[in-house]
Amino acid sequence: MLGYPNAMVTAESSIPDEQLVAATLGGDEAAFGELAQRYKSRVFGVASRFARDAAELEDICQDVFVQVYFKLRQFRRDSPFEHWVLRITTYKCYDYLRKRRRDKSGISVDALLESGYEPSAPESPPAHPDLERLYAALAQLSPKERLVITLLELEERSVQEIAGLTGWSVANVKVRAFRARAALRKLLESKK
Amino acid sequence: MNEPNLNPDPDAMLDGLFARARVQRPDTTAAEYAFETRLMARLREKRLQDSESIWATVSWRLAPIFAACVIGLVVWHSEVVNELEAAEQLVYVANPNTFERWNGLD
Repeated sequence: MLGYPNAMVTAESSIPDEQLVAATLGGDEAAFGELAQRYKSRVFGVASRFARDAAELEDICQDVFVQVYFKLRQFRRDSPFEHWVLRITTYKCYDYLRKRRRDKSGISVDALLESGYEPSAPESPPAHPDLERLYAALAQLSPKERLVITLLELEERSVQEIAGLTGWSVANVKVRAFRARAALRKLLESKK
Repeated sequence: MNEPNLNPDPDAMLDGLFARARVQRPDTTAAEYAFETRLMARLREKRLQDSESIWATVSWRLAPIFAACVIGLVVWHSEVVNELEAAEQLVYVANPNTFERWNGLD
């Protein structure tokens, strides 16, 4: 079971998710709007850990909900709707990391910082210099390492949860987390 | 005398940075504002694009069938023309006068 801070929101709402999903599949746009409103905070919360700026954050979140909408028929009701949405969010964030990696391969942490790279959304408070170095170092990791370390350390997901979100095995998640941590340590030590 | 530890445990340092980063979660309130409206507009646009692209896809898929029809018509037409020419030659051989009369050569 995934442990999300606002997991009770669904229970508090009058219409259950399953009913809204069925209504959306029946062509009710407003029902999907309600679902988007219900889960946008969680999607934005996760995506903000990966997005470079507000524009990219908006793009990721829109892509997530567009995919949710068009793949809604594939949603099997054996797990909560929220898990399915967060799995799509994780895949989308990973896609964006891979795209970005292709654009920015071979740039050092210092070069990233000097180029005016913004490690987090511009609305966030100015980060401590150490944190900026951490974000810049995170940006240097491979997409898989970045994904796993962000979910594990910043989003505080368990290894089992990450395995569920990414579709990787538990052992694979552990190995990737170990490698990510080692790579991060090395990057930060080299820039002291 | 022991020197102070100037190189702290890197794992502890990393854990400290993660803890600080966890606390400083980016504020997405402004980005979330009216998100549903923008999303619905994009969905409508995408549905329109998809319906247009369905026609384009269907057209491209039907292209080989149309091409086959055209080739079939060309082949059929050339065969008909050949048969007519052969019939004309037979008529001419059998009765050249009739043929010339038909063509107004008489």
